[in-house]
Amino acid sequence: MAERTISILRAVGNPNKARVIAHLAKHKGETAEDLSKHLGYPLPTVYKYLRELEAARIVESEVKGNVRLYHVSDFKLVISPERLMRAFEGQSILDVYKSKYGDEGMKRLSELMAKVDDGKMTFRQAASTLGTTYYEFVSLLNEIGAIDG
Amino acid sequence: MGKKLVVDSSVLIILSRRGALEAYLTRRKGEGYEVLVPRAIVRELLVEPKRYAEGIKVKYPELASKIMQSVGRVNGAIQQGLIGVETVNYREYSKIMDNVRKRLSRLDAKPEHAVKKGDPELIILVIQLYDKFKEKIFVSTKDKSLIKILKLFSRRVEYGILNGP
Repeated sequence: MAERTISILRAVGNPNKARVIAHLAKHKGETAEDLSKHLGYPLPTVYKYLRELEAARIVESEVKGNVRLYHVSDFKLVISPERLMRAFEGQSILDVYKSKYGDEGMKRLSELMAKVDDGKMTFRQAASTLGTTYYEFVSLLNEIGAIDG
Repeated sequence: MGKKLVVDSSVLIILSRRGALEAYLTRRKGEGYEVLVPRAIVRELLVEPKRYAEGIKVKYPELASKIMQSVGRVNGAIQQGLIGVETVNYREYSKIMDNVRKRLSRLDAKPEHAVKKGDPELIILVIQLYDKFKEKIFVSTKDKSLIKILKLFSRRVEYGILNGP
């Protein structure tokens, strides 16, 4: 549940995405083109927001005829210090990695992340160089927020 | 027969950890995609994380349990046929496989034998599916370098990149 809380916070923390959610809550079943027109955001940006909101399960879509209609999912976010603690202070793969490799390991991770981001190394090559499994490496990128969407 | 979508483990791992895997696979199925992975990456999705979780479960029981749940979701999707596992024909594609390995080893400045199976298998699977079905093959990965290598084969294979989940 912690990752769900984080993904909802990420989505509603962006005012533009929050406007998309608000708009869809009022006008149920709109297309990306409708949203672009009504909110004034460029269409590729709307698609990007919708993809991210769908991945976070905040928005759902259905195909009707040859159009895709978007709806808001029924979600509720309750924020309390305890919930935030569980979301952000819960055990993570990053904690395990830090305790195992310390600051030097974090430095190596950041160097490899830069290489991966520049397209100079695949995730698998970076994982192998770092001495982690592929699963750990991808999870580390995800927890650090280095992977969007 | 649906459109073929080859998905890298990076996408599946992130989705399963966020608890959004089933929704993603159902959506893609609804869009007419058949989600496929090469056999080599199944190990990355099931065996390696399970072993990792077992290794940390004494000190990090909560995290180990979350990882096992995430592995269970991927395994469930494979069992239900929402993710199809494809075998790469090494004999037929040995030359291309060598070429892909060479390119990958150059990228990393490491010997060819050190190239992990997942990267070349994913690229070869795209080529193999294209050869078989003669239609555009879709690919979803978070790995820019992998797309860069795939681009080198763009004359041989018609493919499309599906961004994001």
